[in-house]
Amino acid sequence: MSDPRPQPFSVRPQDLPTKAELPRLRVAYVKDSRLAYLGHLDLISTVERCIRRAGLPFSVGNGFARRMRIQFSSALPVGASSCCEYFDLRLTKRMDPQEALGRLEASTPRAIAPYRAAYVGSRLPALEAWLNRVDWSVGLGPACPADELFDAIREIARRGEVRYLRGEKDKVVDLTRTLCGYSVGEDETGGLSVGVDTLCGAGVSLRPQVLLDAAFALMGRPAPDAPRVRRHRQVHEEDGRIVEPFCGSDAIATSSLF
Amino acid sequence: MRAPRENLFHLIEPLLPHVEHPSRYLNHEWGACEEQDGPFHLCMVYADVYEVGQPNLGVAILYNNVNAREGMSCERCYLPWKDMSALMRERGVPLLSLEGAAPLASFDAIGFTLAHELVATNVLETLDLAGIALTSAERDVDDPIILAGGPSAWNCEPLAPVFDAVLLGDGEESIVEVCACIRDARAEGLSRADLLRRLALVPGTYVPSLYDVVVDEGTTRWGRAVPRAGEDVPEVVLKRCVNDFAATPAVAQRIVPYMGIVQDRLSLEVLRGCARGCRFCQAGMTYRPVRERPAEQVVSCGVEGLLASGHDEISLTSLSTTDHSQCEAILNGMNVALEGRGIRVSIPSQRLDSFGVDMAAAVAGGKRGGLTFAPEAGSQRLRDVINKNVTEEDLERAARNAFAAGWRRMKLYFMIGLPTETDEDVVGIARMAERVLEIGREVVGRGPKSGVSVSISVAVLVPKPYTPFQWVGQLRPDEVRRRQQLLLHEVRDRAIRVSYHDADVSLVEGALSKMGRAGFSLVRAAWERGCRFDAWTSEFDFRAWEEAARSCGLDLEEVACEEFPLTAALPWGHTSPGVSMGYLQREWRRAVEGVTTPDCTRESCTGCGVCPALGVHNVIQGVRS
Repeated sequence: MSDPRPQPFSVRPQDLPTKAELPRLRVAYVKDSRLAYLGHLDLISTVERCIRRAGLPFSVGNGFARRMRIQFSSALPVGASSCCEYFDLRLTKRMDPQEALGRLEASTPRAIAPYRAAYVGSRLPALEAWLNRVDWSVGLGPACPADELFDAIREIARRGEVRYLRGEKDKVVDLTRTLCGYSVGEDETGGLSVGVDTLCGAGVSLRPQVLLDAAFALMGRPAPDAPRVRRHRQVHEEDGRIVEPFCGSDAIATSSLF
Repeated sequence: MRAPRENLFHLIEPLLPHVEHPSRYLNHEWGACEEQDGPFHLCMVYADVYEVGQPNLGVAILYNNVNAREGMSCERCYLPWKDMSALMRERGVPLLSLEGAAPLASFDAIGFTLAHELVATNVLETLDLAGIALTSAERDVDDPIILAGGPSAWNCEPLAPVFDAVLLGDGEESIVEVCACIRDARAEGLSRADLLRRLALVPGTYVPSLYDVVVDEGTTRWGRAVPRAGEDVPEVVLKRCVNDFAATPAVAQRIVPYMGIVQDRLSLEVLRGCARGCRFCQAGMTYRPVRERPAEQVVSCGVEGLLASGHDEISLTSLSTTDHSQCEAILNGMNVALEGRGIRVSIPSQRLDSFGVDMAAAVAGGKRGGLTFAPEAGSQRLRDVINKNVTEEDLERAARNAFAAGWRRMKLYFMIGLPTETDEDVVGIARMAERVLEIGREVVGRGPKSGVSVSISVAVLVPKPYTPFQWVGQLRPDEVRRRQQLLLHEVRDRAIRVSYHDADVSLVEGALSKMGRAGFSLVRAAWERGCRFDAWTSEFDFRAWEEAARSCGLDLEEVACEEFPLTAALPWGHTSPGVSMGYLQREWRRAVEGVTTPDCTRESCTGCGVCPALGVHNVIQGVRS
């Protein structure tokens, strides 16, 4: 073997702080307008670049790839917008959350703008697993009478499961474990507004489009061309008790933009 | 009639849920120039999908330069993937720019980057989707002026009927001059023909419609382009060259894409040009002279660029980065400045003879993925023929350094079909790969857990204009396949992976590299038969190309594999990068004799002719060893 080469990092990996010792900054952000069409992996790299541009003291993992220590809430379907997305970022040192939020805002495209930030408990479960209650709204055109759609969804819910094709794979969603509630309303233009409240967990989730496709198939109608899907709430639910993502945090920083 | 300039994103938005990767069409990326007030509007087009075109440094440079000028705006456009273009045609949506979502047909000028020959059918597809006439002759006075430039402009003849003007060489300055010329000519109310005559006065600008093609006993069957009777245009259009390269912005990429792109990192052009003189390499001949940026500029601009963009990797790009006289200082400076930020510094590929122990330590920071070297040929004799000027010892030393510094995967680039190549040379590729693997095992250890592997990628030589091999015929596809099989048969160790280029794709590339203006009929016929995205293995349709060739009375193999006499006037002889034909002929003769030619940045001038022709010289910051 040749002589040992200088290492690029001055601290040995085993001497670096563990993840649990690092401050955990939770940031809420939107996903709106044309960036609703950004896929989850592209969103992750975009947010990571925003954080680097913001100059936040982010922590880097000790693995081979030296990745930023960041966790995201569950992936949105491509095309769905949201007012309640979250990421948790481990920092190497604690900084004023208001300053962190301000710097992030200045370095983030408006369509995924952050609007709230605060430190949360270091040992909370990962966001994707913890935020198990997800509520959606879906805007449709005047596709059918509201009552007819409501009845169809009720019938699907009574059956307890939805089968659908994803790519070439058959998928089954257990509605008894995922569907908490639903509603169908009409707006002033005759368009339909559908609410779908869901629970998700390890390997189980319900996308509203799947439920609506099944309902329209049951009605013998074509599914609407481009429904406007929006995630409007993500929280933790435990034994019927709702825990908000920033519950227990002090010094919650809020954007002036929202 | 020029299409009205208006934002038509509302026509694209409803299509997004129905296409693959809608993020290709979103725009509004960080760093994109949103203010597009003009009044002069240029749209730069890379005729491939967003993720392939967005990393292109040439487009980024021209985009910045034009947008920096008062009264000029530059937007981008990429070719939509087939699903989107089908929907657009179905719903009557024209091709739009990204920034302003304005119809391409509403722009004053459109600039195509010709990155490689196989983009030809995509150029026609772009124009058709935009509703712009395919040929210059068919366009009206108000239609956009269609420009082109880039590495493949050195034989633009097969697309010459398409382009109103072709910009040769470095485009930093000439794109602005050409835009100003179009703006002023339009303001004066010149006819389209007079506007094109005016464009031909801008140095480095070739206007195909002002040249006729003459076929006689002194030419190949494709003839040569000569100034049309009565037109006051140069017989040979010389390329433009940026003398003070260090005065140009080091980081051209300011746009941070949302989606993963093929080179998803910040690129910094550390030097331009290469004087190594590899005889197959078109870029090595056409980008001369060599111009280095100072190390301090590279380090400071690189760090600033990373802060501004948020990338986690920076690539020090050029034709041969490890040849930079201050390469080690750059790498060390970068690593010190970026320590602890999880940022990787990478180099596209390393030269075997300039990859030292210290450089091995400095490249890539803490991450050791794969490392790429390009020996190009499997024997010393053949490496001398191509003037690669690296030895077996160079390879062994570089491999040993790399494995000792932590790399486990080595990639080696080779070519087959090189002039004078024999089966022994092909077998030599396998032996070389085995030797590198053996060195890896010696240094790292044996057994599956050592993770040592070697992959070899074997391209087919496509003789390119303005190289000493420009007169050579391409190797026939059947023989290419035989040699590929010979190589596969000779590689016996499973830790060596072999990949090779498709012989048919290379054949089409070879034909497009060789043809003159009459080749346009082939390109058009192929496009009419559905050829698009020919550089994509999944999309390439050789049967359609063969049918197209037959319909034009051509045989692709005959075209690509034809040898040209050394004395013949070549189809591309009227556009020049400054390298003299005498030098190329001399290099060809030396190649046949197996005599190498040194690098003029290390030894004395080799007489390529670029410096006197262009009034330039090499700019080396330190001393090249």
